[in-house]
This record gives sequence, structure tokens and C-alpha cells, in this order.
Amino acid sequence: MIFGKHARAASRSLLALGMGLALFAAPQAATAANPAAASAALAEQAQVDDAAVAAEAQASEASAPAAPIDRMKPTEGKGMPVAKGLGLQDQYSKLGGYGAWIHDAVLMPIITVISLFVLFLLIWVVARYNRRANPVASKTSHNTLIEVIWILVPVLILAGIAVPSIDLLAKQFKPAGADALTVKVTGNQWNWSYTYPDNGEFELVSNMLNLPNYPTINNGVRVVKTDPSDGPAQLEVDNRLVLPVGEPIRMQITASDVIHSFAVPSLWFKLDAVPGRINEKTLQIDEPGVYYGQCSELCGPKHGYMPIAIEALPRDEYNAWVLKQAGGVIDGQDEAGQAADDAAGAEADAPAEGEAAQTESQANDA
Amino acid sequence: MIALIAAAAMLGLGYASVPLYRLFCQVTGFGGTTQRVTEAEAQTVAVASKTISVRFDANVERGFPWEFRPTQTTDTVTIGARDMTVYVAKNTSDTPITGTATFNVEPAYVGKYFNKVQCFCFTEQTLRAGQEMRMPVLYYVDPAILEDPEARDVEQITLSYTFHPIAGETANGLDRTASGS
Amino acid sequence: MATTAPPESIPAHSDDHAHDDHDHKPAFFARWFMSTNHKDIGTLYLIFAIFAGLIGGAFSGMMRVELAEPGIQYLDTFARWFGAVDPDFNATLHTWNVLITAHGLIMVFFMVMPAIIGGFGNWFVPLMIGAPDMAFPRMNNISFWMTVAGFCSLLISAFVPGGLGIGSGVGWTVYAPLSTYGSQGPSTDFAIFALHLAGAASIMGAINFITTILNMRAPGMTIHKMPLFVWSVLVTAFLLLLALPVLAAAITMLITDRNFGTTFFDPAGGGDPVLYQHLFWFFGHPEVYIMILPGFGIISHIVATFSKKPVFGYLGMAYAMVAIGVVGFIVWAHHMYTTGMSVNTKMYFTAATMVIAVPTGIKIFSWVATMWGGSLEFKSPMVWAMGFIFLFTVGGVTGVVLANGGVDDVLHDTYYVVAHFHYVLSLGAVTALFAGFYYWFPKMSGRMHSEFLSHLHFWVFFVGVNTIFFPQHFLGLQGMPRRYPDYAEAYAYWNEISTIGYMIMAASLVIWFANIIYAFTAGKKAEDNYWGEGATTLEWTLSSPPPFHQFETLPVIDEKAVH
Ligand code: HEM
Ligand SMILES: [Cu+2]
Ligand SMILES: [Cu+2]
Repeated sequence: MIFGKHARAASRSLLALGMGLALFAAPQAATAANPAAASAALAEQAQVDDAAVAAEAQASEASAPAAPIDRMKPTEGKGMPVAKGLGLQDQYSKLGGYGAWIHDAVLMPIITVISLFVLFLLIWVVARYNRRANPVASKTSHNTLIEVIWILVPVLILAGIAVPSIDLLAKQFKPAGADALTVKVTGNQWNWSYTYPDNGEFELVSNMLNLPNYPTINNGVRVVKTDPSDGPAQLEVDNRLVLPVGEPIRMQITASDVIHSFAVPSLWFKLDAVPGRINEKTLQIDEPGVYYGQCSELCGPKHGYMPIAIEALPRDEYNAWVLKQAGGVIDGQDEAGQAADDAAGAEADAPAEGEAAQTESQANDA
Repeated sequence: MIALIAAAAMLGLGYASVPLYRLFCQVTGFGGTTQRVTEAEAQTVAVASKTISVRFDANVERGFPWEFRPTQTTDTVTIGARDMTVYVAKNTSDTPITGTATFNVEPAYVGKYFNKVQCFCFTEQTLRAGQEMRMPVLYYVDPAILEDPEARDVEQITLSYTFHPIAGETANGLDRTASGS
Repeated sequence: MATTAPPESIPAHSDDHAHDDHDHKPAFFARWFMSTNHKDIGTLYLIFAIFAGLIGGAFSGMMRVELAEPGIQYLDTFARWFGAVDPDFNATLHTWNVLITAHGLIMVFFMVMPAIIGGFGNWFVPLMIGAPDMAFPRMNNISFWMTVAGFCSLLISAFVPGGLGIGSGVGWTVYAPLSTYGSQGPSTDFAIFALHLAGAASIMGAINFITTILNMRAPGMTIHKMPLFVWSVLVTAFLLLLALPVLAAAITMLITDRNFGTTFFDPAGGGDPVLYQHLFWFFGHPEVYIMILPGFGIISHIVATFSKKPVFGYLGMAYAMVAIGVVGFIVWAHHMYTTGMSVNTKMYFTAATMVIAVPTGIKIFSWVATMWGGSLEFKSPMVWAMGFIFLFTVGGVTGVVLANGGVDDVLHDTYYVVAHFHYVLSLGAVTALFAGFYYWFPKMSGRMHSEFLSHLHFWVFFVGVNTIFFPQHFLGLQGMPRRYPDYAEAYAYWNEISTIGYMIMAASLVIWFANIIYAFTAGKKAEDNYWGEGATTLEWTLSSPPPFHQFETLPVIDEKAVH
């Protein structure tokens, strides 16, 4: 069964190494080529599940445009891993792009060149200094100049890496402003709960969603949904963490039992959830979308079964979503209050929007 | 011989690291540990003209049958001036329960400027079945924060508490994790 | 110390004893169970390490087969193998964590360390420094049997209750509080006890090596004339001596937190779980170098032997290891970038970690420079050594990527880290072990192995391990977290390739065993110095295998002798 399948796929293993070298050679190009490769892969595998997903996708497009506060349909390949992907996930946060640049444009080229250089030297000595080519060995065992060079050059390279690397750290630690939205994330065995202290303290519990066609996963005894806007198996949840885009958000992470880690690769975000203390980090999401992540610190049997799904919305849609939650308030007012304000005229809206704009410009300054 | 002594010394250092680390955190505010000051010390602090926002956060450990929340989400305080906030805790079980609170502030590096004059977290707290209690915290933000280039731009400090059962209570059957048997 | 003697006189000395002593071997039980002979203990360590490695390898095979495709396929069966009766979903998944925990602990503490330090260290350190045995032969024996006892304790832990399933599922890092109030049942206690035993054994071993190396060198062998393997074991022993007690303290606190109501790492009593991580990694980072430094030493000898040249930059090589050892103690928190450290701490650890790459680079370039101008002969140990140099480089450069605190935010606890440390360990340390094995096997056994099978073993292994671990870089970059039994469909492709790689690697082990069988049944008798003029250290002056007791009259090292 499974072994037969491997025999078939065995031929692909060499291809794997080949592709590895390709990545080494051209990290940027490889990353750029990912989406294409991914869709090709999907087509090639032509699995029943994929077909089903595609059909569902079409169906939901037909039935769209639903109200904006409905569950958002994830975009294939955005905010989630892509099949056969070779590089980092595409980045959708303020600092993610910078981080990815450091990796793709600084680190990857350097480590590729170093690895190939060592490989080249090895091949060179094999060719040049084998017993037949060089029957009599030299006795040289010191050369101060070369020893100094191979200390100095690495030092310089590392210093070169350190500059953007330290800069990235400094930027990551820039605290959010006083009126930035604060959201609290609590890791539990084995789900996440999300609290919105600035929007009325309401709390959501977010469990992994099971999808049809994955019987082994359904073992996990959780709700099974078949909503067309559900994302990939193992990554989708029942209640997503909804956040506004384009403004800094103060993410506060803690845990109620053991250590977990809140991680979303496409937002360049990973911070441990430690019981008994709160950790904080600023997150700013660039554009609306659904971004998936997974718990990244071993926390017991279902460590692999507490994914994270962030649904990022424009501010007004975010506000509308908040007001639909039990106890949800915007600027201290619940749905009824907001409606009254709206009726009273544009005045109520204007300052709020002004505030949002202000936060945004501050963020841009930073 | 020397090797044996070295090994013993490292072993000792391993154990000593626990109190040392605690002391280190308390002195430097490392990891967001707050500072504890006396009433008298607090009196001597000069009040600055700038304000800073303080956010209050409350958590309980899994399975700990208390409701615990701040009475205000944020507050704007004058740097150097003493201020008070109140947390409310309620025992929702039908037995008396003793808890103890851990705390830290974020961003972690301003811990050394966050001074607590009085706090419920200094001692254990016992609540009767169903009892609700208001728990004050008296604190101020050290004006030295304004001189620290790193901490100067911090606009909001979060003060976070987590209530846990006291250690002995664990054995009494509170299930602290989902992996308990 | 400046005694001079013509180097040719060395073989003459030892040959005399070879004949005297053959008769004095103790009987079977006393020889192998109460052994105080460094070579016999070394052999025991090697056999033990192979055995433990097979079990640890079997665990990783179970993991790879489960990961071959998305979904949970075999875990339920595996759970039953460990004795679970009708495991529910949690118990099934718990088995996964048991596999990763046991695999990690076995490979680190019961395979690599016993093989490279206990095995090769015991065998060749006394031979290379011209000593008759280790300084404390009985302590040596106790170390070995404590390691065995530790291994038994670890195996027991896999079959007793450990929370929601059978066995201990806390990871090789044993992080609190998952390992304290997060895992009830005796299993985790057994696992921690296993670490205590292995740790105590290693500390005794370290003391033994330090004393032996500092006090029992042959006349004329100054510190700066010691063979590099001896240097590497000396540095390793100091790392063990300083790092292991910290682990011992940390895990003892785990035990008391678990059983005696202390709260060292429990926030409820004012403890801090993150402190455990500091302590663990204060041990853990030196530990990773403990596993590789002796490998560095072995590779240096092999490269010099088969280039027919002295090692390039001997002092630089020796002190690079010392530098790695020293700097290794101040970089530990690069394993903890995501725990919520402050910006200054993160910057410091980023910079300090990158510093380690410099002495590591010195080693790699010095090996190449040793070959440069040499007259290279590609015998089996040499191909393994050259494979090591390349694979270790690949593992090292991904380490430099991970060293960047801001980049580690996206790579920490993903398969990228798994790929990194397997490149330096499974492909680095293990390749060095095989290199050392082929270099010294005839010396230890007296029989030559097949060069053809050794080369075949190398190439199959090389293709296998690269196929396993290279794609894991891709998985990690794409965000696949480590320690997961199941994954999103998108990760399926590279996981399947990785599993295929495992099978190729497993096939290479069959070739290896065939080679050993060949050597014992049909292998040529090994000469004293079967590698010829390039092999210059003292073990080559002895017969193969060396006499039961060697160097009863100490060899004398020529002052002008080269390393
Ligand atoms: C160039 C030198 C090296 C650097 C800069 C380096 C850096 C790192 C960093 C930053 C991590 C943490 C990654 C993370 O968890 O996010 C790491 C993990 C690791 N490294 Fe290295 N490393 C180097 C060499 C080595 C060597 C030589 C070994 C062992 C022979 C090694 C073994 C490991 C192991 C076992 C882990 C993972 C431990 C775990 O989380 O379970 N590394 N390395
Ligand atoms: Cu987890
Ligand atoms: Cu490390």
C-alpha cells in the first residue's frame, strides 16, 4: 500500500535534490515560481479532495457576495503553505516583508555561496591533489596570511549580516501606541481563546475544525463543518481570530496550563504563551485575508491539533463584526448605541475615523 | 579532584540559579518583573508633567474556580504620581480557596520603572465559597523612565496578573491541565 | 619534558609487550562485565551505542512512516505496541510524543555520546597519548554500566503510564510545566532518571578523561603535541564537566516539582517555567558541541592521514575547539528567541551566536588546507570525512540563519530547525562516527573491512540522509511545525520524499552490517599500520588489535615529531 506508493515516488527523490540545488541557486526566483508550481502540483495530483474543494470554491463564488462580516473565504496559497513550496510563505505584515527580504536576499545568497564554495574546494582538491595527480605531498602546515584571511572574511560577512538583522529586531520591538487595539490570546490544552479587552472583554474559543473526507482527523471528536469558506484541513478553526488591517495591534499572549506558542508564518509572528505571565508584541497586518498558523511549542497530545486562523478585515468591517459579538462594543458603545450615533449624523463617525487614521500615520512614521 | 570540585560547583550553581534568577529579575526588572517599594520611598518621588497609559490584565489558571478581572481596562496616570486600581476576584466554587497571583508588566524592559507600593500579589488570598473581594494595587511609574532612551517611547504599560491555586491545593484535586489523569 | 628519542624506537617497545600480555586476559564474564580495560570498555560502549542507535533509529522509522502521508495511519498500532489498551485519540497522539522524546533522548545520550566519547574516546585517547589505560579504570566501568542502566530506565519509561497515554511525551528538552504538572504518571520520572544516570556516567567519564589526558601523557608529549582527537576529547570533557551538573540540577528540580511539592518552575509557587529553559539550554548548547567536537578530532586525523600531510594549522585547530567550547557557554538563549525576551537580550544572543561561526569556519577551511597540496587517497574513511566536511558546512550555515533572532521568529520550532540539527548531527556527527569506524575498525578488530562495501555504504547513506533532511528545509520555510504527527495537505509532497529518503538510509545500514560480517568472516588480517605513511599517531605503532595491555614501558615522543 503505502510502500508501493513510495516505489512509484522513489524516482521523485532525485528530483527533490535537484530542486534543492535549484533553490540554492536562485532563491528569489524559486520563491516567485511557487504559486505556479503549487497549482501545477494540485492539477497533477488531481485528488478527489482537491476537486471537491475546487467545486466548493466555485459554488461559493456563485453565492457570494455575502455580507462582508460573514466568514471570509481564504485565498488559495495566501496565508497558508503551498504544495511543494520551497521558500518562505508570502508575507502580509508590516515587518514580514523585511524579514523575508533578509532571509531571501541576504542570508540565502550568503549561505548558498559558502556551501557551494566549500563544495567547490572539495571537488578541486579531489581533482587536483589526488594521488595520481600529485604523487608527492607537500609538507606545508602553516600560512599565516591565509589563516588571518579566513578569520577576517567570515567576521566581515557576519558583521554584514548583523546589520539588517539587528535592525529588524529593533523594529520588531517598537511598542504599539497607547490607543492601539489590544487583543489577548490565551493558549489552552488544546485550543486558543481570544479576548478583546478594548471591545467589551468578550471572549472567543477557537477549536480546530474538521473537514469532511478526512476521517482519520475526525477521530478528534470536534465539530465537523462543510462551509464553503473553510480553509485547509488541519488549519481551519471554528472561530477565527478577527483583527483589523493596517493598524498596529498589541498582541498579548499567555497560557492557562502549559507553554504553547502562537505562530503565524505569513505574518512573521511567533511568540510563546507562558502560563503565569503575559508576552507582548506588535502585529500590523497589511491587507485583508485569512492567515493560518499552528501551535509551535510542544504542549501535549493534541499539540498538532490547535491551529490558528486569523481573519483580517478592514476597520469598518472589523467594527461591524465586533458589534455582532455578544457584549461587543466599539469605543464603549454596543450595537444599539452605534446605530443611534449613526442616525445622529456623521459627527460620531468622523472622530473615530480620524483616530484610526492617526494611528495609521503613527504606525507609518515608526 | 579539581574536576570534582568544578562539577560540584556547577551543580551548586544550577540550584543557586533559582534564587539568583529571581533576585536578578527583581533588581533589573528582567522579564518584566515589577519593583516593590515602601510607602516612604514612594513619598520621595518627584512627579513629572507627563502621563502614561496603564492597561490592566487579569488571568486565572485553567480549572481555578475564580472569576478575576480588573475594574478598569486602562487608565492614564501621571508619571511619578501614585495611583490606585482595583481588581475584583470571586470564588465561584462552594469551598474556600486560597490563591496566589503571579504578575509581570509588558513591555518587559519597563518593569524596572513600575513600582508597587501595595499589592494583593504580595500575599496569598483566601476567598470563602461565593465570596467576592476587591483587591487594590497602589503603584506609580518611576520618572526615570523618561530618561531611558529605550523606554521613553513606551506609551502604554500593561500590568498583568494570573491567579493560581497555591501549591498545596494542586494535590487537592484541581485539574491544572487537560492532561491530568 | 624534553626527552628525545628516535621515533623508530616506538614500535620496538610495544611489540615486546604484545606477546607477554596475551595470556593475561580475564575470563569471559570478568572480562566483559567487570572490565577495567579501556579497550574492552570502549568496545562495550560501541556495541551498546549501535544497539541503542538501532532502537532510536527504529523509533524514527516509525515516525517517518506515520509522516509519509497526511492523516493518522499507524499511531494507533504503535500505541498498542507500547501497551495501550484501546487507546483513545489522545492516547494515540500521545504515542507520537513518546516517539519523538525517546528518539531524541536515545540518539543524544545513548547513541552519539556513548559512541564518540565512550567508544572512540576510551579506545584511542590512551593509545594516542601513550598511556597504558585510563586514569580510573574502575570508574570507567561504572560509567558504562550506569549508561546501560539509564538506557533501561528510558526504555521502561516508554511502557508505563505518562499522562494521557503510555510513555513520556515531553520532548527531549523536557520543558516544564508540560514535564511537571502537565504529565502525570511515573513515565516521565523514569525518563528523567535515565538522564540522571546518563549524566552522572558522563560526568565521571569526563573526570576520567581530564585526569588521563593531563597526567598520563607519554614523556615528551606536551599539551601542544597532543593529537587533535585527544584535544577534542579534552575540550569535550570540560564541556561535560561544566554543563552536565547544570542539567542535573535542572532535572532534579523537575523531579522535586513533580513529586515533592516544590515549585521551582511552577508559577503557582512563584517559580518560572522559562528559567527551566535557561538552565536546560545552558547545558543544551554545550551539549550539541559535546556531540560534534570529538568528531572534529576524528576528521582531522583522517584528513591528515589520507592527504599524507600534517594537519594544517594545528594550533589554530586546537584553539578553535577551545574557542567553540568557551563561546558555547554564552549563546544558550538562541534556543529561546520566542519566549518573550527583551530586545537587548535578543540582540546580544544574536551577535554572540554568530561569533561561533568563526572558529567553526576555521576548522572547515583548515581541513581543506590540509588536503591542499596533499597526495589524496580516497580510502573509505576519507570519503566519509569529505562527506562530513560538506554536510557539516550545510548544517552550519543554516545555523547562521537561525542565529538571527528576528528571522528565527519564523523558523523556530519548524522543520527548518529539525533540518539544521540533523545536518550537524545525523549527517555531521554520525558521518564522523562512520568515518572513525572505518578508520579504526581494523585496528580494533584486527580484520580489514571491504573497501567496496564501505564506499557503497557511504554513497547510499549520503543520498538517503540528504533525501530525508534536505526537503525538511523547505517544509520549515513553509512553516511546518516540528513535533506534529499530522499536517496540512500542502506539506505532503516533501514529507513523502523525506520518508523515501529514510528507506534509502536504512538500506545503507544493511550494507554496513554486511561489511562488518564480511570483515569478521573473510576480512584480511590487519597490519599494524594499514593506512601507511600518513598515519602517524601512536596507535599505529601497536599491533591490530593492540595487546590487552599496552605501553607498559612508556613510549617516548621525539621533540621534533609532527602531529
Ligand atoms: C555554526 C554554528 C551553529 C549555529 C550558529 C547554530 C545555531 C542554532 C540556533 C540559533 C538554533 C535554535 C533554533 C531554534 O530552535 O529556533 C539551533 C538549534 C540546534 N542546533 Fe545549532 N547551531 C550551530 C551549530 C550546531 C552544531 C555543531 C550542532 C550539533 C552538533 C547543533 C545542534 C543543534 C541542535 C540539536 C538544535 C536544536 C535543539 C532543539 O531545539 O531541539 N548546532 N542551532
Ligand atoms: Cu502546542
Ligand atoms: Cu545552540
